[in-house]
Amino acid sequence: MAPVIELTNLRKEFDDLIAVENLTLTISSGEIYGLIGPNGAGKTTTIRMMCGLLDPTQGSVRVAGIDVLGEPEEARKYIGYLSDFFSVYDDLKVWEYLDYFAHAYKMPESEIPARVDEVIAQAGLEVKRDGMIRGLSRGMKQRLGIARAMIHRPKVLVLDEPASGLDPKARIELRNLLRSARDEGATILISSHILTELEGLCTSIGVMEKGRMVRSGRLEEVMSAVTPMRTVRLQWLGEAQAQIQGLLEQLPGAAELKLSEGAGEFFFSGSDDELSQALANLINGGVRIVSFHEVKQTVEEMYMKVSSHEVM
Amino acid sequence: MPIWKNPEFVRHFRAELRTTRALTVAAVVVVIAILIWLGCWGSRASEMALVHRQSVHFRAERLAEMDRETPFVVWFGFYRILMYAQLGILTFWSLFSCAQSISGERERKTWDFQRSTRLSAGELLAGKLFGEPLLAYFIVLCCLPITLLAGLMARVSLENFAEAYLLIISGAVFLGIAGLWLSNLFEARSRGVGLIGTFGLYILCALMVLTRDSNFSGAAALSPLAGFIPLFNNDIVFGLPTIFGHPVPWVEVSLLLYLTLGAWLVLTLLQTLTKDYDQMRPLSRWQAVGCAAFLNFIIYALYIPHFPLVSWDSFVQFMVTVNGAILFVMGLAMLKSSERLRVWSRTRGSTRWPMFAEDGPQWPWLALSAAVGYGLLVLGLFAWKEDLGFDAEALRVGSIEFLVVLVFIIRDITFIQWSRLTRMRAPVVKGVLFLGLYYLGAIVLATVVTVYSAVRGQGVFALLTPAGAFQTLPFNYHSPELYLGIGIQAATAMLFEMAILARLRHPVGELAQHSLAG
Repeated sequence: MAPVIELTNLRKEFDDLIAVENLTLTISSGEIYGLIGPNGAGKTTTIRMMCGLLDPTQGSVRVAGIDVLGEPEEARKYIGYLSDFFSVYDDLKVWEYLDYFAHAYKMPESEIPARVDEVIAQAGLEVKRDGMIRGLSRGMKQRLGIARAMIHRPKVLVLDEPASGLDPKARIELRNLLRSARDEGATILISSHILTELEGLCTSIGVMEKGRMVRSGRLEEVMSAVTPMRTVRLQWLGEAQAQIQGLLEQLPGAAELKLSEGAGEFFFSGSDDELSQALANLINGGVRIVSFHEVKQTVEEMYMKVSSHEVM
Repeated sequence: MPIWKNPEFVRHFRAELRTTRALTVAAVVVVIAILIWLGCWGSRASEMALVHRQSVHFRAERLAEMDRETPFVVWFGFYRILMYAQLGILTFWSLFSCAQSISGERERKTWDFQRSTRLSAGELLAGKLFGEPLLAYFIVLCCLPITLLAGLMARVSLENFAEAYLLIISGAVFLGIAGLWLSNLFEARSRGVGLIGTFGLYILCALMVLTRDSNFSGAAALSPLAGFIPLFNNDIVFGLPTIFGHPVPWVEVSLLLYLTLGAWLVLTLLQTLTKDYDQMRPLSRWQAVGCAAFLNFIIYALYIPHFPLVSWDSFVQFMVTVNGAILFVMGLAMLKSSERLRVWSRTRGSTRWPMFAEDGPQWPWLALSAAVGYGLLVLGLFAWKEDLGFDAEALRVGSIEFLVVLVFIIRDITFIQWSRLTRMRAPVVKGVLFLGLYYLGAIVLATVVTVYSAVRGQGVFALLTPAGAFQTLPFNYHSPELYLGIGIQAATAMLFEMAILARLRHPVGELAQHSLAG
C-alpha cells in the first residue's frame, strides 16, 4: 500500500516546551490509524501540523504526496479535519452548512448538490436536512461535523477525539459513519484517549507520550510486540485439575498455569496448530472441556502496558 | 471568484438574509423613512406657520418664495438625514461586525475549519469584509431608491448623490478592513479589549474631522464626515486639503487614504489570516521599513506650512515624535515568537548576516527605518526651506533627536521581546503596561526633583525619557544628561538583548505538557 501520510522528523516547540519531538510516521492508504495517548501527549499538535494549521518547528509533512507546508492549499484538497472541540454555524440549515464547505473546498459546482445529499444520508441526517443546525442534538452535530470533513471526498480523514462527550448510541452511529468513510476509500487517522472506541475499528495504532511516538504499527503487530504470550482460558467439568496440569505442563510454549476448580488459564507462546493440538490432547485424555479460548488483549490493556513502560 | 459566489459571503447571506428577515428589514426601513419624512415636513410646516404668523416682518415676495421653496427644503432635509443615517449605520456596523469576526470564530472554535478549507486568505477576507455587515449593506440598499427619490425631489445633483455613496461605501470598507485587522490581532480571550479598541477607533476616526484646520488638514479625510459635511451643509465652510501643496477635493483625499492605508492593512491580513495565532507575523522586516517610509511620505504629502508648525525646529520635533510612534508600532509588528527566535539562534552560525535575518533581532531594522525617516525629514526640510526657514542646524538637531528616540524605542521593543520569552500570559500587553508604568514613574520622579531644582529635574527627564531630545533652541549639544541618557538606555537595551540570547541558549525545558498540545 502506498503511504498517504508521511511525517518526517516532526518537531514542535512552544516557548520552552517541546510538544512533539522527532516524530516520524508513515500511514498507508486505506488504514484506520488510531493515535492514542494521554492528554498533553502531543496528539492534537501532531494533527494540527498534519492539517497545515500549525507550522512545525522542524520536519516535513506530506499528505497524498503533497508537501503540506509548501503547498498548503493543494494539500487541503486531500484532508478532511475534525477538531476535538468545535461548534457549527447554528444559524444555517444542515444542507447549507455542508454546501458551504463543499464550495469552500472548491468542489466542482455540478457535483455539490448530489454530494451534499449523499453525506447527509451517510450521517443519517436526512430528516434534518432542511432543519436549522441549532435544533440538532450533540450526537447529530458530531455526525454533521464528520459529514463536513468528508464532504470533499478527502483521501485522508483526520479526527481529533471525535467521540468525546457522546452517549453510547451516538458512538455506535459514529463508528458506522467512520466505516462508511473508510469504504469510500478514505484513510482515517483518529486520535482518542477513550480506547474502547478504537477497539475493532483501527487497523493500525500509534501510542504517543510526552511528544514522542512510543509504539506504532499494525494493531496485531503492536499487540504481539507488547505481549508476546497469548492468554488461554479454559473451563471443564468434573475433577480433572491434576490431569490438566499434567497435560499442559508437557505442552511446549505453555507457562504460568493458574488452575482452580473447574476453570483456569495459562500463557502460551506457540502456534495455532500447537494450541489446537493441546485442546485435542485434553479432550482425548477424557477431560470434559466446556470452553477453551484465547483471551484477546484489549487496546486499553496494551496501552497501559506501554504507557507504564512495562514494554519499551 | 466574484463576491456573490464567495462561500463565506454566501454563508452570511443565507444566515442573515432569510426571506422573512429581509422583508421585515425592508418594511422597517420604509416605515422609518416615512416617519423621517413626516418629521421633516412637520418641522418645515411649523417653521412656515411661525413665519406666516409673523408675516409682518417679511415682504410678501419673500413669503411666497419661502412657500415655493418648502417642498425642496423638506425633501433636502429628508435626503440629508437619510444620507447621514446610512453613513452612521454602515460604517459603525461594518467596523463592529468585522471587529468581532475572526475573534468570534476563534471563540466558537469554527476558525480552524475555515482555515483548513481551500479558501485563500484573500477569499476569506473578502467574504468576511462584505458578509459580516451584510444586513447593514441591505439596509443601505433598501434606502437607496428612497434616497434617490428624495435627492431628485430636492434637485440634488447626481454628482452629489454619487459622491455621498462613494464616501459611505469606501468608509465602510476601510473601517471593515480595520475591524478585521483588530479582530485578527486579538485572541478570543482578549475580545473585550478588542471591542474597547474598536470603540476607540470609531471615535478617533470620527474625530479626525477636527484636524481639518491643522497643518495636516488632509488627515481629516480619514473621517468620511470631512467629505460628507460640505456635500450637505453649505453653511459650513470647509477649505480644501492639499497634497504636496495642491488643493484636492475631500472625496479624493478620503479615497486616497482609504486605498493606501487599507492596502497596508490588507497586506498584513493576507500574511496572517490563515496562520495560527502564535505564528502570526504581520509584516516582514522589509515591509516594516517600507511601511514606516510610506507613513512618513503620507504625512509630508498632507503637510501645510502654517502655524504652529511654521519653523524648522517645531517641524523637526513633530516629525521625530511621529516617527517615534511609527517605530514603536513597527517594532511591535516585528516581534517574534520564542519558537522562531530559537530556530534563528540555532541556525545563526550558518546564516550570512544573522543580525539582519527575518527572525533575528528588531534593532537593525528599527535603525534602518529611523534612517529612512531621517532621510525623508531632510528631504522635507529642503522641500519647505522657504516656509520653514531651513538652517543647517536643523539637520544636526534632527539627527540627535532621531538618535535619542531610536535608542528608547529599541530599548522598549527589546524589553517587550524579552517579555514574550517569559511565561507571562498576554506578554505583549503586559510588556506595554510595564513600560507605561516605567514612564509614569519616571515622570513622577522627574517632577518631584523639579520641585527642588528645575535644572536637575530636566536632567532626570533627559536620563529616563526621550524628553531630553526635545529641548528648546538653542540646542545644548554638550548636555551631559542627554548623552548619559543615550548611553544608559543603549546599555539597558543591550542587557535585554543579552537576556534574550541567554534565554535562547538555555536548552528547551524538559518535555512537558502544554496547554495547546493534545
